[in-house]
Amino acid sequence: MNQINLYEAKNITKKYGNLIALDDVNFHIAPNEVVGLLGDNGAGKSTLIKMMSGVVEPNKGNIFVDGNEIKIKNRKESEEIAGIETIYQNSALCDDMTIMRNIFMGREITNYFGFMNFKKMDEISTEVLTTGIEIAGIDSPSKEIGALSGGQKQAVAIARAVYFKRKILLLDEPTSALSVRETEKVLSYVTDLKKENVSSVIVTHNLYHAFQVCDRFVVMSHGKVVFEKNKQDTNIEEVTAQVIKV
Amino acid sequence: MKTFLDNLRTKSAGGIIILFVSIQVIAILGGLLFPDNFRYLLPANIAVLLKSMAPLGIMAIGVGILMITGEFDLSVGILYSFCAIVTATMVKEYNLSPYLAMLIGILVGITAGLIHGNIVNKFTIPSFIVTLGAMLLWKGGTLLYHGSKSLRYKYESESYEILLKGDIGVVDASFIWFILVGIIFYFILHHHKIGNHFYAVGGNSEAATAIGINPKRVKLIAFAIAGGCAALSGVVAMSRVGSVQPAGGLGLELEAIAACVIGGCALMGGRGSIIGIMLGTALIYTIQDLLLLLRAPGFYFDMFVGGLIVLAAITNVALRKRL
Repeated sequence: MNQINLYEAKNITKKYGNLIALDDVNFHIAPNEVVGLLGDNGAGKSTLIKMMSGVVEPNKGNIFVDGNEIKIKNRKESEEIAGIETIYQNSALCDDMTIMRNIFMGREITNYFGFMNFKKMDEISTEVLTTGIEIAGIDSPSKEIGALSGGQKQAVAIARAVYFKRKILLLDEPTSALSVRETEKVLSYVTDLKKENVSSVIVTHNLYHAFQVCDRFVVMSHGKVVFEKNKQDTNIEEVTAQVIKV
Repeated sequence: MKTFLDNLRTKSAGGIIILFVSIQVIAILGGLLFPDNFRYLLPANIAVLLKSMAPLGIMAIGVGILMITGEFDLSVGILYSFCAIVTATMVKEYNLSPYLAMLIGILVGITAGLIHGNIVNKFTIPSFIVTLGAMLLWKGGTLLYHGSKSLRYKYESESYEILLKGDIGVVDASFIWFILVGIIFYFILHHHKIGNHFYAVGGNSEAATAIGINPKRVKLIAFAIAGGCAALSGVVAMSRVGSVQPAGGLGLELEAIAACVIGGCALMGGRGSIIGIMLGTALIYTIQDLLLLLRAPGFYFDMFVGGLIVLAAITNVALRKRL
């Protein structure tokens, strides 16, 4: 594979006091792929996700975006330079706010003085809800997020990322709070994302879900990457054995 | 009709609007039916009612915005007294213009808010605890700065008389300040992007962080607003009454929180509205007024407001869950 990676982290180490959360980790995301990031609790998956999204700064290591080395100091930079958006298990949405306000949270369309242009935001929200990622059962952007099901919420969060032209989506256990049917839906969104030229990283405990959508698997244990293989070169038994191996 | 009710139900001010309108209807009907015994509609009564609600109302708007952001400031009551005393001292001892003095008083309030916010942010301690400490600290500070005597404040100036002590018919100048503050913060909370961030941080701080909002900065702004509003309410009240008591504002912080809760603000943040907070304040004073008119003893007021808080909280939850 000679193509340039969208994102690459080399020799990343992150310590919390004496605890080594990430130990010399190498991780990359290629264009148009879905990476399954697996491992038991405390393996360092969440720290890696946080590091990539700019919430946590590594103690050591280099980060490359499109082949160029950069420094990411905060969330904003990770969003703007690397085009990364994170979706957490409880979804990055506020229940008490409308869909429209959620879509534009932190990226409000405003006039010079910072007052919001509701008309424009409403138009775009309607567009987001009706094109691209199709979300069943949502008719109006003025609906409160709290009134949606877990799957619909994740769908809104994913649609938002697609609209803002993110290149990489980090999904931290996106399906852990969902019903079986909703899980299928969200997984199908992730597959659809590839068509929109968005790569994603999925953190999950469910290896069957991972096998459904991922192109490559990375298994972590005690802060290290212990296993990495493309889907065609491995099978679910091998990956499972790697995850449960202490 | 159904969509209208549905609309009302999902708005955080829905419960308070229904409650407020029903109580007004009953009171007005009572006033019309028994004009001699129940003088609700008498201009003098309306004037007193409007006059009384401004200080708490202005304070509650700041407290409410902070609550929507997910934090508390228990020191607003004592800041109300402290900032008013600072303002009065500036005028009396340093011969400053009352407007400049007022500005200084408000700046002191804002600074206090910023200090509280910074401590909360820096040490990640619950704001309830930080501001509980701050309340006692400011209380002692007020006594240290001024002593326990009440302070008379009179400033002879035509414009000041009109702007802070005048009235238009039954409408007192302080009530106009209340409405003005309400309108300004309505636009900030509901139409400005910082308002959106207040809701985001209070509703789901993690989500706000994930999307690139800095919750600490947003909270700091909310703390500053709460401090500034507390100071303004103190100055407005002092100007109207003509004096200030060093401990006069103590306890107002809880009444302000009560007004916010009655007005539909969620205690843990993320929900609330300016109109709700204003009506919550108005409702507290309407009930006080009704009880006075009915010649009920004073302690009934506390009992009613106490009941009202719980009732309002129940109504808000019930309305959202669909009746």
